[in-house]
Amino acid sequence: MNALVAILWKDLLSEWRSRDRVVAMGVFALLVVIVLYLAAPPGSGPEARAHVPGLLWVAWSFAGVLGLNRAFALELENEALSGLALAPVERGFLFLGKALASFVLLLVVQLASALAFALAFDLDLRPVAGRLALVAALGAAGLCTIGTLFSAIAVRTQYREVMLPLLLLPLLVPVLLGAVRATNALLLEGTLPWPALQLLLVTDGVFAIVSFLSFEVVLDE
Amino acid sequence: MTATTPLRTWQHASAVALAVSAALWAFFVWRAPIDAMQGPIQKILYVHVPVVLGAYLGFFLTALGGGLYLWRREERWDRLAAAAAEVGVLFCTLVLVTGPIWAKGTWGRWWTWDLRLTLTLLLYLVYVSYLLLRSFTEGSERAARFAAVYAIAGLAVIPLNYFAIDLAGGRTVHPENLGRGSLGAGMRAPFALGMLTAVAAFAHLLVRRLEVGALRSERDRREAEAFREEA
Repeated sequence: MNALVAILWKDLLSEWRSRDRVVAMGVFALLVVIVLYLAAPPGSGPEARAHVPGLLWVAWSFAGVLGLNRAFALELENEALSGLALAPVERGFLFLGKALASFVLLLVVQLASALAFALAFDLDLRPVAGRLALVAALGAAGLCTIGTLFSAIAVRTQYREVMLPLLLLPLLVPVLLGAVRATNALLLEGTLPWPALQLLLVTDGVFAIVSFLSFEVVLDE
Repeated sequence: MTATTPLRTWQHASAVALAVSAALWAFFVWRAPIDAMQGPIQKILYVHVPVVLGAYLGFFLTALGGGLYLWRREERWDRLAAAAAEVGVLFCTLVLVTGPIWAKGTWGRWWTWDLRLTLTLLLYLVYVSYLLLRSFTEGSERAARFAAVYAIAGLAVIPLNYFAIDLAGGRTVHPENLGRGSLGAGMRAPFALGMLTAVAAFAHLLVRRLEVGALRSERDRREAEAFREEA
């Protein structure tokens, strides 16, 4: 448990000092918002707004992949990854620390880009802010759990920046479908459908368990 | 006696089974009546439905081989996973090629985002990524570990995808004829023989691929030995 807190603190502190991951993810998400705004039907009418939930998750998942790619690239410097592998602690907690750090960073980026979306598409997010935050956090949790596991794998392969999205995106479908569906109902009808929420909760649980248990063999060096 | 000798026996047995069942299957497909509604294009289903079996068998064996490798750390289980993934991807490619040809003739369009179509496509992408992961990872032991983890995660996601696509309104428009037993006279035999042929073809290709894997690891072992002797 101490390892979890130590890793989380270390990742957040180094991010606070350099701010490179959050800035890169944030700028990237903003660029995605602009590109998607230009690609969506013109104006900010209901037709354009109907696309917002899907577009929002495109921006968030791309920014998430970008951040996750850096999560372990950082540990390659000075062989820090070998140090982590040798540490006499339960590796599952190392995983949870890394995943939580990525999760916190993604939440920050999600908040900033949701505001950008609200401005670009003229949306009033205030009435649904709390429930939208819940859906965003559940989606981010799914993305960061399985994403952290695959980031640890991808970082040890050739073409690692390409490998992570290739590994991650096909498995992310349940998270994205659940999250887009929930966000859609929330933004267009103001309701939060239980089946979509249920799918997100179950998927997050399965991903967390699979990643926690498999991290042991992924780091084995 | 080399490591490949028992494989040779299986190779011959599966080749004979494949030849016999394929010949019978071709004969019964040729004899099968032309579907009154769909016309001759319905006969592509005698290929399409059986190869689905091979695809799913391949992906199941990949995850099983990966799981056994992580448990026992024996190289042969990794060879099974790698072989099953390659053969499974081949069968799944056939599924995704024959399906749309039939769909274009019957439904009038190549593709719909139907539950089973989407599931199969996603599964296909997972296993193509699996093969890419294997080829982009250096060191056979590391590749085996990474691939095993990915195969197990890929299997775990199948039921989740099922619920997800169902939730997204991907109603299934897939025919359920086999389950309902509404096959016309003379259509049952080609389906059954097609299944048998697909399993025999799967087994034969799997055994051949396992042999390649065994020969490769034998070569690596000999090279390592020669290297040690030189040093």
